[in-house]
Amino acid sequence: MTRNAMIDEWYPVGIAGQLDAHGRKTALMGEPIEVGRGEDGNAKVTGANGRALPACIRYGHVWSSLGDPQKPLFAIPEADQPGRRLVDVGVVRVRCSPLRAVENFLDIAHFPFVHTDILGAEPHTEVQNYKVEIREDEDEVWATQVKFYQPQAAKSAEGGITTEYMYRVPAPTCSILYKTCPPRPGEWDVITLFVQPLAEDLCDVWPWMALFDDETPMTDLIHFQQTIFVQDRSILENQIPGLLPLDPGMEIPTRADLTSVAYRRWLKRHGYTYGAQLVAQ
Amino acid sequence: MKLYDYVLSPSCYKVRLMAALTGVTLDIRPVDFHPGVEHRGPELMALNPAGSIPILEDGDLVLTESSAMLVYLAAKAAPQWLGNDTAGQAARVQQWLSFSHRLTASLGAARLHEMLLRPGNIAVLQGQGTAALRELEAGLVEQQIRGQRFLASDRPTIADVACFPYVALAPDGGVSLDPYPAIRLWSRAIRAIDGFIEMPGIHRLHELKPEPVPEVGEA
Amino acid sequence: MRLSHGFVRGETLSCIYHGWGYAQAGNCLRIPAHPALTPPDTIRVATQPVEDGGGIIWISVGEPAAGPPRFEGLAPLRSMMVEADIAALEAVAGTKADGDLLDYTGNAPTIRLLLAPQGQARTLVHVLVAEGSSQAERIAASRAAEALRRAAEDIAHGGIAR
Repeated sequence: MTRNAMIDEWYPVGIAGQLDAHGRKTALMGEPIEVGRGEDGNAKVTGANGRALPACIRYGHVWSSLGDPQKPLFAIPEADQPGRRLVDVGVVRVRCSPLRAVENFLDIAHFPFVHTDILGAEPHTEVQNYKVEIREDEDEVWATQVKFYQPQAAKSAEGGITTEYMYRVPAPTCSILYKTCPPRPGEWDVITLFVQPLAEDLCDVWPWMALFDDETPMTDLIHFQQTIFVQDRSILENQIPGLLPLDPGMEIPTRADLTSVAYRRWLKRHGYTYGAQLVAQ
Repeated sequence: MKLYDYVLSPSCYKVRLMAALTGVTLDIRPVDFHPGVEHRGPELMALNPAGSIPILEDGDLVLTESSAMLVYLAAKAAPQWLGNDTAGQAARVQQWLSFSHRLTASLGAARLHEMLLRPGNIAVLQGQGTAALRELEAGLVEQQIRGQRFLASDRPTIADVACFPYVALAPDGGVSLDPYPAIRLWSRAIRAIDGFIEMPGIHRLHELKPEPVPEVGEA
Repeated sequence: MRLSHGFVRGETLSCIYHGWGYAQAGNCLRIPAHPALTPPDTIRVATQPVEDGGGIIWISVGEPAAGPPRFEGLAPLRSMMVEADIAALEAVAGTKADGDLLDYTGNAPTIRLLLAPQGQARTLVHVLVAEGSSQAERIAASRAAEALRRAAEDIAHGGIAR
């Protein structure tokens, strides 16, 4: 039963601000679920046969699980920092493995070709060495000291800058990016990718941000992030193989791909294989 | 000129693209179409009771149909894009402008369903989209036979701008462009026009730039 | 990613995702993330021999003994996908295919179809017309091919209008 390890994880299933009493039909790992607001005002998530599923509201989203989560949802301490603007970017459906969606989020080498003139541009294609580790205490994948030249790193950026990134994977289908914050040096902007696995090859992606930016209108912030994600979408829908290969050999990693290598190793170690393939085909 | 715009809307993109190709500067007013549904809010409904975007405002003139906006931009800034050299050509432009609404209703609706979870019968929408792509392919084959690269002429016109976005983004709605060689050639010709701009889902045509000399060791 | 989504500069085919560039022989020339790196020879993509035979592009799996066939007196017009098998196309044409060639005479001059089955119920059809056909004849031939497709798909889908 390769699915079990991921069954007990939390997944995003909707925007908290859009909850209503009618409920919204969606799915989680193949099971039809309904997400609504209960009479007590809290989020209420119902699985097949009407069984009540765990539910909580955090980081602008409703979270649920088909199983029995052993831990509370991962912490993002920056989310509670005063002065940040919290941005619900909205859902985008992608016909791809939920793990592929996260892996692409961890990749910077594609910026010049897919996010041309925004997050990258030729000839600034080099990926400098950076650090990757699986932090045993937190049981998370971390990449730090990631640097990349970006023509327009954020909506608030004017002109090209070398941006510094840190990536964090605290759950199999969630990743958090900490990024140089142009208006406030010394702080990090928080950009997340929360992925709801609908099936092994289909997911709803809920990007969310916690930014220091008092200037840019909210709609511009949303549109900037939607632009970036939808540029990735056509790439994600054309990945071959569709499922993420966890065994080495099928794809050739370079130094630029060390975050992906660590992510795949961490998934395999935990048996997080929903959306993955183990045997080379 | 003020455009009420959504960055992921192919209809809004038609207007941005036309403006870029004709050198018109637009004052962009972003609309939170998704997830905020701002186009159905009181301010925009007062401007356009149909509840759709784009909306183009120029003084007293308020336009709510993208084809009309293309006509307006071309007539104002670059009349050669109207494609009215002959009666036949002018009619052909109108033919494709009308046709473009079927692309919106089929491929556009399929894309909204597949990408932004809007309601719809996806199999029906994709089937209608395929039928429209076949018509376009046949039309472009006949234009090739006549020695013309674009829909109404050997030069691009507003007809091409009206049809290009929903066609180029058909794969977003699960409709492949692989079976349509004439459409792919035409799409490439449009993307290579001076002043062309992309929207998310349409990648840069990197071959238009020479191979850059890599910069090694920069920070 | 399929390399068909990518781009060609000079003699180099590059992937749209990370820009890795490949030479005609399939070896990797360039990994933009590591500009100083000479890609090892083990990084390569599969290649197939390709030949342009009278306006038709042929590829072969393995090394063919001979060049691609030539169709004397014929010129390629267009390619189209038909959601039907060869039997349905034959039924409309009222004749059997000779190898991968099928002649069809509708209301226009005869067209010759070069058939490439794509699985069970799809056929990629390359439409050939007589060399030197006039513009009007070629447009008529393209429309004849459309009519043939409609009829073949009607048969394949049980005659139900879709």
